[in-house]
Amino acid sequence: MLKKPSSRRKTKNEGFELNLVPMLDALVTMIAFLLYSMSFLALVSIDSPAPIAATRQLENKLKEKPLQLTVSVSDSQMRIWSPFNKIKGVTIRNNAEGKPDLLRLHENLVQIKQKFPWENQVVLAPFAGATYDTLIAIMDSLRSLEQTDPPIYAKDKESGLDVQVKKLFPEIVFGNLLGE
Amino acid sequence: MPALRSIRSRRQRRRINKNFDLQLTSMLDVLVILLVFLLKSQSASTNNFTTVPGIEIPYSKSQDSPPDSLHLIITPEGMTFENEKIVEFTQTLDSIGSEPTYQFAKGDIDIGGRRIIPLFDALVQAKEKSELLRAKSEARTDETGEPLKFEGILAIQADKRMSYSILKKVMFTAGDAGFTLFRFLAMRQEQ
Repeated sequence: MLKKPSSRRKTKNEGFELNLVPMLDALVTMIAFLLYSMSFLALVSIDSPAPIAATRQLENKLKEKPLQLTVSVSDSQMRIWSPFNKIKGVTIRNNAEGKPDLLRLHENLVQIKQKFPWENQVVLAPFAGATYDTLIAIMDSLRSLEQTDPPIYAKDKESGLDVQVKKLFPEIVFGNLLGE
Repeated sequence: MPALRSIRSRRQRRRINKNFDLQLTSMLDVLVILLVFLLKSQSASTNNFTTVPGIEIPYSKSQDSPPDSLHLIITPEGMTFENEKIVEFTQTLDSIGSEPTYQFAKGDIDIGGRRIIPLFDALVQAKEKSELLRAKSEARTDETGEPLKFEGILAIQADKRMSYSILKKVMFTAGDAGFTLFRFLAMRQEQ
């Protein structure tokens, strides 16, 4: 007795259509949500800790005088110096346009960083009329190392290996908040 | 014969409508591309910083994305703290149409012209509110179970023409109110 042939072959293969409408709904909702939550303002930040007054006792406890690298900005020039004379002071006059010469400032700071690779702090003391735009530009020069800068290495205290320094002086403290 | 032609075209249109099926695949393609673009350009930052009209923000090479914190905006017209206007600079007839002057009203300044009173009040209020919320929240405790300390971070967004003398007053006021970190905001400079 022969078996009854399978009915599968006889059935017509009806065209299968994927229902895209719910998927479309989900995508439209997601796009609306993303557009709503999207930040069109590409903001970045530069952090600066508030200055803390050091007590005389703390100063006496320090075995070695700190570098306390300071950059003073006036309307005609900038001066890089250390109150403890750890470096030779450098004066940088404004460029031909009358703006701070940020390239020379950066070059000098890179040289100082090569001598003091573990130093991260810099005190910035601008004059009262310095604009926010100028301050941001100076802080950029103080903080970041450019790709064209020579590599700076510092010896890691724990491992003793040379580690490449990635930032110039990232901790910027405003030094003349109490002054006029 | 225009009448006949018209009937024929009407018939054709009817025939097309009968078999018409909206092709969603191409539309879906467009939407997926749009979605990918939006997801890619969506910044991963967790801040809700906004800006106000009339402010020119300087550009910075910094790559640090600012986390959310208390936010102060300084425009040539005044100061806005957490979306609330707290200080309005006084305008003189001479200053209209020229460079902004950022002049404070007489009653807005104390301690030898160093502290901005409305800003100090707003900052102290915000600090107290934050500390109260931290004290109430059981989730916000440190290892010893004590409520987390007030972070004291103030994000400052200012017009690029603003002078350091104003910023100095702002920082002095914030320091006096117990804030320990200033976060200067700028626009990302494409490199």
